[in-house]
Amino acid sequence: MSTRTEAEMPFYFGPERALFGLFHAPSAATRKAVLLCPPLGQDHIRCHRLYRQLAQALAAEGIAVLRFDYYGTGDSAGDSIDMDWQRCLADTAIAAGELRIRTGVDRLFAFGARLGGSIALASAAQAGFAGVAAWDPVLDGRTYVERLDAMQSALCLDGRRFMVPRKPVDAAAQWLGFAISDSLRQQVADLHVERPTVPALLLDSLSPDTPRSLNGFAVDTAMTRTLEISTPWDDPRRLEVAILSHPLIQAVTQYMREAA
Amino acid sequence: MQEQAFRFGRARHLVGIAGLPAPAAPKAVGVIVLNAGLVHRIGPFRMHVEMTRRLNACGYPTLRFDLSTIGDSASSGESQTRKQQICADVSDAMTLLGEQAACKHFVLIGLCSGSQSAHMVACSDPKVAGAVFLDGYAYRTLGYRLRYYIPRMLDMKRWLRILSRRKAPSDGSGDPPFTVAPLPQAVVRADFAGMLDRGLKLCLIYSGGISQYFNHARQFRECFGRVVSHPDVFTRFLKEADHTYIFTGDRNRLLDNVERWLSQNFPVTADGSS
Repeated sequence: MSTRTEAEMPFYFGPERALFGLFHAPSAATRKAVLLCPPLGQDHIRCHRLYRQLAQALAAEGIAVLRFDYYGTGDSAGDSIDMDWQRCLADTAIAAGELRIRTGVDRLFAFGARLGGSIALASAAQAGFAGVAAWDPVLDGRTYVERLDAMQSALCLDGRRFMVPRKPVDAAAQWLGFAISDSLRQQVADLHVERPTVPALLLDSLSPDTPRSLNGFAVDTAMTRTLEISTPWDDPRRLEVAILSHPLIQAVTQYMREAA
Repeated sequence: MQEQAFRFGRARHLVGIAGLPAPAAPKAVGVIVLNAGLVHRIGPFRMHVEMTRRLNACGYPTLRFDLSTIGDSASSGESQTRKQQICADVSDAMTLLGEQAACKHFVLIGLCSGSQSAHMVACSDPKVAGAVFLDGYAYRTLGYRLRYYIPRMLDMKRWLRILSRRKAPSDGSGDPPFTVAPLPQAVVRADFAGMLDRGLKLCLIYSGGISQYFNHARQFRECFGRVVSHPDVFTRFLKEADHTYIFTGDRNRLLDNVERWLSQNFPVTADGSS
């Protein structure tokens, strides 16, 4: 087996070893490290392949990478109903600490897609990131919650999915396959990511008709780059189709390579 | 219960999470959950995590892992057919779980293509004691066609739409978004008979999400004949559920069925055996 695969080690870490991580070691000693913050819910599953490809691309550039799952998500401990915004921020800081210990690198960068991007931006100070690349981050939680609620309600009448229509109660207290608590719903609805305190690259691939709230956010410390192909985050017909984007991987790899 | 992450396999190319019940159940049957399509080992909407943790709580050691080239697993670098890869990967998984939990026999669980993988291995590996096929092989039978077409023929609104040349609003039901590439029906029947002759216990749970080719509990018998009447075969049609169990209530009902079937067929005894 190639040493590259051997360099990708799965493990548990953090208090009570509750968090799952997969460390991508670079081939040689490194001075750079990147923490990949996953999105939540179905976006997490859809982006899994892309995150792995990105981690491998960064490792090939000599950059150490840690992928991880927040409490209540992926392979980490906790049920899906236990997902909590503040816990996600705290877990991100713990994961950043773990990456520092494993690499000896103090200056970390972060990447995140959708809510993962929001988490990377919101936790930048707590986790001590030197820079953040955020792909279509959710900046306005209320609009995002309304969209998720609408997609969840529409599931009940989805004739491609169900043999018989379902009752609204069957879909209650969930977002696209995942149980959610009232507190998480409120936390996401209240989400309003402040202007970044660190250099940030915003990668925009939302469809043209999707409302944006980048105005006022993209301040002088931030840089926005538009990807030519829109990402179908909210297309219910592609709810279980993987999100893949080579332009995104190239853009993030270039940003991380050039980051001082 | 403590979950442990492993890189394992003949080329150390596989990644998986073992759930090892405490206290250890040294003779319990091990449960291995296979990838559903290209979704990594956590399963659709994290179903495999919920399933394995539930079974751990009942005393079963479990392993959810990624087959070669899926999820976090790499290629083994060998020149093999996909079938050979899958059989070798599952053999590696059984070796790992056997080492960690001292189990010698295993139950395989798979949804959709995972069911197909479980079927392949269950046909030949003597360490497999049982299998749970979720939306596995199925065939459009005469009964299926009658149940499908007769209501449509009697649907006056549908006729009015056709006669008025109004195009019916598309519900996208023409092309299934997923399918299990079928083995010939006679082969699957013979495979099931062979598994039962070898003492395997089989659980077939199909959902309403595969209504393009399966639409009634009777279809198990229409597809597979008297095999499904065998005392070691359990069948269940969850008509209301979709293919990947997107609603938590449906998922819980599925997990209830799997847990009940395992506890009845492979009970964990006081000394940990099953």
